[in-house]
Amino acid sequence: MWTLIVSALTGLWLMASPSILDYGDPARTNDWIAGPLAASLSVIAVSSVLRGLRWVILPLGIWQILAPWLLGFDTTPTINATVTGLILIAAALLTRHATTRYGGGWASLLPDRMPD
Amino acid sequence: MATVPHAHAAQPSEHRADHDIPPGWDYNPAEWSQRIPIAALALVGFCVSLYLALYQWGVFGSVWEPFFGDGSQRILNSSVSEALPFPDAALGAFTYLLDAVAGLVGSRRRWRTMPWIVVLFGLAVGPLGVVSVMLTVFQPVLYDTWCTLCLASAAISLVMVGPAMDEFLASLQHLKRERAKGRSLWRAFWGLEG
Repeated sequence: MWTLIVSALTGLWLMASPSILDYGDPARTNDWIAGPLAASLSVIAVSSVLRGLRWVILPLGIWQILAPWLLGFDTTPTINATVTGLILIAAALLTRHATTRYGGGWASLLPDRMPD
Repeated sequence: MATVPHAHAAQPSEHRADHDIPPGWDYNPAEWSQRIPIAALALVGFCVSLYLALYQWGVFGSVWEPFFGDGSQRILNSSVSEALPFPDAALGAFTYLLDAVAGLVGSRRRWRTMPWIVVLFGLAVGPLGVVSVMLTVFQPVLYDTWCTLCLASAAISLVMVGPAMDEFLASLQHLKRERAKGRSLWRAFWGLEG
């Protein structure tokens, strides 16, 4: 739960950091897209029935680490993207799996499965 | 000896006294304590969106914006906001109202007695959240500014997604079980099956 709060706050930081740290494109647009996505996924994944969405935060974190090299960021946004990427990866990996039972969960809707 | 702990390990859900809890679930997702907070949030979202829509319609000459200067004004008058024949906030207000109504209709058994309302509820809440995220990304990327109340509305719609989706899942599982029993999916959807 607290790991998702950390990743939600990281997303909010990415929304604000282009203005606060004063950096431009392409890092700015990248963070303006990655930020809302990280914050939204984190908020939704708080609900244990949708906890699985935390795994989408993982590729987002990996992207933040790759983006400075693929898109060519300046020094400040590179450091910012790398640090936020590491935080997002850690948050995705450390978030606990929900133990609440949901009659087989979403997977029970697959053609070859059956709900409890 | 080894069989004793085993026998206790698998406790079937029939042991529960509350038959309103879906099979294999720990709680009832259609409980009022789950639904009333969502409906209350939806009503707050409705008021925020209605205010923004009234500004877009020209009822109010200015819009409240404490942080981003003319941000709200620019975003609410942007081409994305005016892409529809009516203000985009009006569509938001309508969806929030639908969420509130669909969240309140039906008893705490509605995941199996009224799957249609639960599915409608889920279909209203889910896309509203997705559209909110999209509009949040558009604000800075296209217009280089933010709109405080638009962000507040987006946050409200995202918080509603999780609590609505568990009920949605319970209804879909119920429909799948009914079909597996050879019953009519159509009748189960409208709650016509015992």
